[in-house]
Amino acid sequence: MLQATPQSSLLEDFTSAATQAVATVQVVDRTPAALGDAILHAASGATRILFAPPHNLPDSLFADFASDPRVRMNPTPEEMINSAAGVTEAFAAVASTGSVCIDVSYERTGMVSLLAPLQIAVVAAETIVPQPRDLFRADVLDGSGLERDFVFVTGPSATADMGPLVRGVHGPHKLHIIVLR
Amino acid sequence: MASPVNPADISPRQVANKSDKKALLDAIRMTLNVQSSAVRLNTQTFNRNRYTATALLPDYSELKDRARQIKENAIANLPALLRRLEVSVRANGGHFYLAKTAADADQYIRDLLLSHEARLVVKGKSITSEEIKLNHTLEAAGITVAETDLAEFILQVADEQPSHIVAPALHYSRERITALFKRKFTTDLPLDTGEELTKFAREKLREQFIAADAGISGANLIAADSGSLMLVESEGNIRMTTTLPPLHIAIAGIEKVVPSRLDFGTFIELLPRSGTGQPLTSYVSILHPPLKATPFAAPGKAAKPREFHMVLIDNGRGRMREDPVLSEALYCIRCSACLNSCANFETVGGHAFGGETYSGGIGGSWEAGTGKLLNARFSELCTGCSRCVTQCPVRIDIPWLNENLRQRMNFEQPASPAKSAFGAMTGSAPEDRVAPLQKQFFANYHVLARAATRFSSLANASARLPFARSLMESVVGLDRRRKLPPFPRKTWLQLHAEQRSGQALASKPGLPEVLMLADVFTNYGSPERGIAAMHMLRQVGLQVELSSCLPDGRAAISQGMIATARQQANDMAQMLRPYLNKGTTICVLEPSVLVMLRSDYAHLLDDPATAATLAHGKFLEPLQLLWSITNDQRLDLAQIFPASGSPHGTRVFYHSHCQQRTCDAAWQTVEILKLCGFDVVTSSVECCGMAGSFGYKRDYYELSMAVGEDLFAQVRAAEAEGGPRTMVASGTSCHEQLWAGMGREVIHPAELLVGTLA
Repeated sequence: MLQATPQSSLLEDFTSAATQAVATVQVVDRTPAALGDAILHAASGATRILFAPPHNLPDSLFADFASDPRVRMNPTPEEMINSAAGVTEAFAAVASTGSVCIDVSYERTGMVSLLAPLQIAVVAAETIVPQPRDLFRADVLDGSGLERDFVFVTGPSATADMGPLVRGVHGPHKLHIIVLR
Repeated sequence: MASPVNPADISPRQVANKSDKKALLDAIRMTLNVQSSAVRLNTQTFNRNRYTATALLPDYSELKDRARQIKENAIANLPALLRRLEVSVRANGGHFYLAKTAADADQYIRDLLLSHEARLVVKGKSITSEEIKLNHTLEAAGITVAETDLAEFILQVADEQPSHIVAPALHYSRERITALFKRKFTTDLPLDTGEELTKFAREKLREQFIAADAGISGANLIAADSGSLMLVESEGNIRMTTTLPPLHIAIAGIEKVVPSRLDFGTFIELLPRSGTGQPLTSYVSILHPPLKATPFAAPGKAAKPREFHMVLIDNGRGRMREDPVLSEALYCIRCSACLNSCANFETVGGHAFGGETYSGGIGGSWEAGTGKLLNARFSELCTGCSRCVTQCPVRIDIPWLNENLRQRMNFEQPASPAKSAFGAMTGSAPEDRVAPLQKQFFANYHVLARAATRFSSLANASARLPFARSLMESVVGLDRRRKLPPFPRKTWLQLHAEQRSGQALASKPGLPEVLMLADVFTNYGSPERGIAAMHMLRQVGLQVELSSCLPDGRAAISQGMIATARQQANDMAQMLRPYLNKGTTICVLEPSVLVMLRSDYAHLLDDPATAATLAHGKFLEPLQLLWSITNDQRLDLAQIFPASGSPHGTRVFYHSHCQQRTCDAAWQTVEILKLCGFDVVTSSVECCGMAGSFGYKRDYYELSMAVGEDLFAQVRAAEAEGGPRTMVASGTSCHEQLWAGMGREVIHPAELLVGTLA
């Protein structure tokens, strides 16, 4: 069934579900220039951008972005808690829920994807799976979900505890997802 | 007599323990007065969202079966799983502690924090930590505990217990939070919107996340194979708690353990959808701590290595596991579907329908299992309406748990000659004769009803006498404000015997043989509905026989008089067995009796062969039967029962019965009425609030009417455009509640259809 779902329809479903979850989704070409433009445009207001380098996607893809002077790959503790945006890769995404999956076992990935008000996640289109349960299957993404410490991130942080629904609580207030074609 | 306390002055903590009935009654008054509108709004939103979200799962039912199976196996193999888990946690480099009691867990965590010289702890939401009163222990040791889930933060500021297992402060409206914060904090910040309140709390807590020495989280599930946790949240506070501080302590009940991380795949689909009705919450973390990434070191502080402790708590769960009834409660994944789909819960919330920690339909079993039986007294608010049963992702039979708790509480009552004599006279099983008079009265309603119909003019006249009502109120707790429906002069069986000769309609060949069950509610209370239902079925050519009238056990089981219900169920099964053996369809007018026969009897029948016959029997609600005949025979209902000929008009408001919906026997009525040409508006409430005898009881009259108000408001809304509608309902209780609330006649769908024939 998984193989029978064309990836283009998964991308459509993913985009629609993520938008429903109040994330923004952008699909770009898989080139350093296109990715760099997309990230820097999304984080255009930020004076400092936290960046946890990728472990699945090639480093070179992020080269244009990483050369920007606002980017911090080894932030001080002050910078870690006082930056406007945080950029990480996601090793997978989920079509039915619009989630991106962030591996938090890599150094700083958990904090970079959590502490800044704007979260930017970069994910490859071919890693979109149909449903959350697929991350718990050995035959999906080479069993990529089975050993990792990871977080399904679906939209920005939110609460209804203070009465009305409020987006932006302890975690990011905004989630921007960049899908690589 | 002392003037009653103003309900607004009752604090939730004062009435958290409801082992004393007065606390329960005070809690109901307080919540109706102070919390009801916020609780209604929030639970009903969750409820609607859950229906929408689960409908989008194509294999919802299979997922529930799988979840149930995983939990059944896990609880059965729990000792081995715990051993396996301990090995996994240690292999990951973590520490593992299995606490026998709440005090053991508290002490372990306190000593651990003290040995790390931890002064500030950030905490994610953990209802289990409320159960063991962890904050109290830590604060007494001089450790500052910052609750970081905004709902828990509110409760910490207000010093209140949770009112809901997923959204523990949902009894607070935005306005009340503003008032609370303005009272408790000095700040220049405006606190008049949800955004402003959130910003205020976020800034306060952000400082604490950064400075924290340790983080304490709960766990939604734990996998034995890898020591993995599944943590479900939306605010990001659990991520902070598990990511930033060097020391992470996860606490959970032992029932949270499942064999494998692969099992998370089933629950991740079910849990958020069943809870808040979201496909997924903002963050679901899958971790097998200690995390490999370096923890946060505040500016100027040295980085410390990560350390992880898993503290699992027994605190009565082992005993629950050995209990043939309560063990089912261990399957609970704490999603709150049973709270949000419960009409009583939607109206009062967990400060009335809950104890010191746990709330809602499942809460009684947890309070009794982790504490004392009498702490489950609030589970009296479970009316057995069964709406939660099909909503539970692990298919827990919650009414059955509550009926058993009720039985155990009955058994704690002292025997008395009056109760024994009353029980013997009315037919209570010997062991149930310790139950309070009120319970025995309602459980044996058929005895009273039989006598009352025999002397109906006397009974009806005395029911109107103030003296008689005051006596009924003081002896059996029948609220005097409840208008009693008059007893008919003749029973359904008597009317049927008289009419039989004149009613010879030609029966069509090839149709099933039908036995109409003369249930006690219809036979003694509203025979005209029974007559109409038989007329309706004969009209399409069915041959319908009427059974004799026996009590079915519904009234008894709802009072926790299970032995009496068992006796009645076995008699009923003996009567039905020959019919079922020859393939007769049993048609049941009263939905609560239908569910009794279809599912509750599985718990009650002594003889396995009879139980198997019943389990395979065909039990249908009359319009459900009509629907299947309509389809088989390709009947044109608009020809047979044309709405245009209805003396009640074509505009109707239809309210189906809670248990009728649970057993999937309600939509057929709506379809039929539409096909006949009626203009139908349906209710969308979970239950009318009457729920058998519940709404008749003095103690619960106000609550029952408050629940009913949602239904009455829907009738008024439906009539705001285009004028009055004929009120149509399928259940006896619903008739009485609608009649009480709207002051107008209510008819059964069969009466509406038969009316078109004249």
